[in-house]
Amino acid sequence: MSDKNKNEKVNNDNNTDELEERALSVFSSERNEDITALVLCLVTTFIVLLFTKWLV
Amino acid sequence: MSRVQQNMPVFIMSGLLLVYGLIASSGALLPTMKYLHTHKTMDLQVTMCLILAGIGILGAVINSFKEPGDSLFDRFFLQPLGGIIFLLLLAMFIRWYAEPMVKIWSTALAPILGFKIYKVLNLNYVVLGLLVGVVVTNSVGIPKFAASGVKCARFVLKMGVIMLGARYSFAELAKLGVYSVWLIGIFVLGTVFIVLWLGKIFNQPKTMTGVLSAGMGVCGVSATVAVAPVVKAKSEEMAYTIGTILSFGIICMFIFPTVGHLAGMNPVQFGAWAGTGILNSAQVAAAALAFNSVDIKTLKVAEIFNITRVLFLPIIVLVLATWFGKDSGQKLSFKSVVIDKFPIFILGFLILFGLSSAGLFSPPQHYKGKFIDVSYNERTQITDDEWHVLDAAITAGTITGLSESQMAAVTDLHHQRQIAGNFDEREDSKLFDKVGRARMTELEGIIAAVKAKQVTLPAELTSVFKHAVKQVHKKSKTVSTLTDVMIWFFAFGLIGLGMQITKKAIFQAGGWPLVIGGISGILKATLSFFVVLWLVKDVVLN
Repeated sequence: MSDKNKNEKVNNDNNTDELEERALSVFSSERNEDITALVLCLVTTFIVLLFTKWLV
Repeated sequence: MSRVQQNMPVFIMSGLLLVYGLIASSGALLPTMKYLHTHKTMDLQVTMCLILAGIGILGAVINSFKEPGDSLFDRFFLQPLGGIIFLLLLAMFIRWYAEPMVKIWSTALAPILGFKIYKVLNLNYVVLGLLVGVVVTNSVGIPKFAASGVKCARFVLKMGVIMLGARYSFAELAKLGVYSVWLIGIFVLGTVFIVLWLGKIFNQPKTMTGVLSAGMGVCGVSATVAVAPVVKAKSEEMAYTIGTILSFGIICMFIFPTVGHLAGMNPVQFGAWAGTGILNSAQVAAAALAFNSVDIKTLKVAEIFNITRVLFLPIIVLVLATWFGKDSGQKLSFKSVVIDKFPIFILGFLILFGLSSAGLFSPPQHYKGKFIDVSYNERTQITDDEWHVLDAAITAGTITGLSESQMAAVTDLHHQRQIAGNFDEREDSKLFDKVGRARMTELEGIIAAVKAKQVTLPAELTSVFKHAVKQVHKKSKTVSTLTDVMIWFFAFGLIGLGMQITKKAIFQAGGWPLVIGGISGILKATLSFFVVLWLVKDVVLN
């Protein structure tokens, strides 16, 4: 098998893996998922701090 | 089928939540909650149920009249709403009913069996959540209305890992000498490489060995979730890893204390060994208490060794990202590993860890939100009745068998009515704190001696000492709330993860993960046993 074919096969496998993985998530990419999780956690932390420390 | 009919399950679930919330708010469920020891969560139960019911009904109404679309609102709220409510309902059932019931049943069965099943099998929300998810998906299947919501599971699990950072503080690491941190680091990395090597020998998929290595090296659920996206692990591989770690921990819980006693380990050595060799933090605590329920030092050392491993999580993620990338035939530069491959949610874990270490949630030296405050404060005093008990005992000279320093701590408690440093030295906060903590340690020593029947004191006097010690042990409300949020994220995520595991996938994975996990776990436990016996002396904490 030539190098070109090998690379194409690796790319196809990676794409299939990516598609399978995304099928298990509501997000279109890992990056979006992570950033949303981070932002939501920071917002949650802020709210918790507000009601358990700063406003008490 | 009309759209209202399609949304009927969401209407029904929201209606159930509304009814439950209203009944709970009337106080009618209080006796049941008291029986289950969940009455402290009554306000939370009412609030969560009513808010969720409101959101559910609103979403179902919109879904009934709006044409389905592909906007952000559709993708992230309207479509997954049914599944999110379904998973939350299951999580509520597990946390408020199933887990407490399991505890009550296993306590009732303890006299017959000789042990508590929930402790031995670690039947907490982690295991119950995964089990419920697997049972649902392999019996009735994931309901159609919940399919989209179940896809939120991994995302929510990531949020759980981020929140985990809030529980730890750098001050805990600083308590261990550099030498102990090296010891833990070597064992964590060593286990990771052993599992990767065994995976290669047994010809296992690298997705499986990658996630198993992190789970076996660092600690159970959080490490598994953190590493899964880096090595592209499948849901069943994550579940297998969690299962392997918990099963191995169960065996260790029984074997470790017996071996520790046979080898004549001291409390500190055993704490260090259990904290290094056992993976799950609840099982570490159980083994430490089984070895020595009197000396609190064993548990403390074990827990500190255990949590220090969690702080190696970001390093392990980097190591596995490099390994996985290289094994997939990609050319990796420093930038591609540290910047491109490093998961952003692990950065979130580090941010919360940084904020926690800076003292934003609790004083920096806290441990899972708990800290000791021996500052001079009226609120930390013992009650008047307790003072009279103490006064009568000192006047009558009934307190005997204590060491000189223990007696001095008792006299000071009588004098100051609380555990604190010397009032005259309060300007020098470091000295004041040091003296106060030393007095607390002495009183804890008395309580331990009474428990071990080395000293005999009247029960009411021991309870005065216990209360005095309790008064200076504070708990940060912020960290407790953040921990609770984290537990909800994990409960939700693990049920969803369980729902992605089919029977076919379980049989495909076979028993190899258990074999690899078992070999690497035994290797680590044996090596750490000798290293701890050889290197760890009495004092490992600064």
